[in-house]
Amino acid sequence: MSKPQMIIDTDLHPVPIHEQVAEYLDEPWRSRYLRGDHGAGHPNLYNPNGVMKSDAVTEDGRRIERSPETMASHFLDVYDIDYAVLNPMESMEHCVSPDAHYSAAALTAVNTHFVEDWLPVDERYLASVMVAFSNIELAVKEIHRLGAHPRVCQVLLVSGSPFPLGHSYFHPIYEAAVEYDLPVAIHPGLEGVGIAGSGGTAGLVANYLEWHTLLATSYMTQLVSLVVEGVFQKFPTLKYIFVEGGVAWLPALMWRLDKNWKALRSTTPWLTRPPSEIIQDHIKLTTQPIEEPEDRNHFQQVLDMFDAEKMLMFSSDYPHWDGDTPDFAMRHLKPALREAVMYRNALDLFKLEARERVG
Amino acid sequence: MSAKAEFFVAALDDLPPGERRIIAAAGRSIGVFNLGSRIVAVLNICPHAFAPVCLGRLGGTTLPSKPGEFIWGHDNQILRCPWHGWEFDLKSGQCLTDRRRLKRFPVIIRDQAIYVEV
Repeated sequence: MSKPQMIIDTDLHPVPIHEQVAEYLDEPWRSRYLRGDHGAGHPNLYNPNGVMKSDAVTEDGRRIERSPETMASHFLDVYDIDYAVLNPMESMEHCVSPDAHYSAAALTAVNTHFVEDWLPVDERYLASVMVAFSNIELAVKEIHRLGAHPRVCQVLLVSGSPFPLGHSYFHPIYEAAVEYDLPVAIHPGLEGVGIAGSGGTAGLVANYLEWHTLLATSYMTQLVSLVVEGVFQKFPTLKYIFVEGGVAWLPALMWRLDKNWKALRSTTPWLTRPPSEIIQDHIKLTTQPIEEPEDRNHFQQVLDMFDAEKMLMFSSDYPHWDGDTPDFAMRHLKPALREAVMYRNALDLFKLEARERVG
Repeated sequence: MSAKAEFFVAALDDLPPGERRIIAAAGRSIGVFNLGSRIVAVLNICPHAFAPVCLGRLGGTTLPSKPGEFIWGHDNQILRCPWHGWEFDLKSGQCLTDRRRLKRFPVIIRDQAIYVEV
């Protein structure tokens, strides 16, 4: 299998160095952060694998994701990755915290930590400006604080939200993002935590297998809400990245949405063209966890049912338990899609400079 | 193809604006609508799923607008299919959300009466 010209990982998970984050916090937040308050917690569901890969440790036993040096040497170098978007763990939990002031302060410090302490270590890192839902004014303020930074590549939200993300309550976030020409990304994992809804609209499920499978329903909700509430009419330059929410459900949802729109368009007169067209112009999907049907050809057929060449971007999710390495993801993509998915869509979206492969 | 013929629909006074008649003509079911500004005739078969479209509601609709804004227009001109809710502009026969359109027939007004040519 020939290697693509570049590889861009749109979902890499570092853990902040908490002692360094604390340096960016004033009291009363600093001591609270150092006592280990990293947000609203987790869904209380059991994953026998652990959420972090158990083998993501250095030769001398340190966790790879907890330092910018080891993340670069033990992951980016190993897989020849040219750029990687940092989506911080032990941090996103603040996004769904009901405590607006502490969560905004903690996220401001975490964002600063990645900009100040990770980006300078390796030129392949790209940072996110991560904001919480509980106070939109504070979220907007944070986007303005970091939005113009040349290596901040996206506004990061989580896909578990107090109500669907097309609602006008969230529009000031989008207004600020487009001011800096930043895409907005959503990342799963906090469904059913803090002020976030359960994801699936039928209510909370019983175990991790159900919850993790149904994260895709959270993305369906967000997608339909964003499109139908007219977010992309109001913000025509906005791009939205659906990180780690699955791929194969998309065509079926587009068909259903278009069919309903044909009958119900008059309730949303701003939708002047089929919703599936709006989706394909504004939404990007990341690949991991790539669907693996028994007959691999079935997945190829799904990729023919929407503009995968324009919408898909590679993601590893490293070092999570269900991550996909670049070579694994590529084996699931027909050769004609590989260059677009492995780097070109992300290169264009984040307006990055192409890098020459040496050797 | 057989020659076209005129079929009587109603006296002009008996079909006021907003009203319709459904007639059988040359083996077809045809809906004749008084839109106020004009009278139109369309085949009573929806091009989507072949529903009796002329039994649907006649009214206006929302015009293209900004998010959160609702502008009413085309009053008495939009026929909404009773099955799946597709909206058709009776002035053109065109569906508002699909490339398909209603089949139209010429309407003739003569001696204060309405005829359709089928």
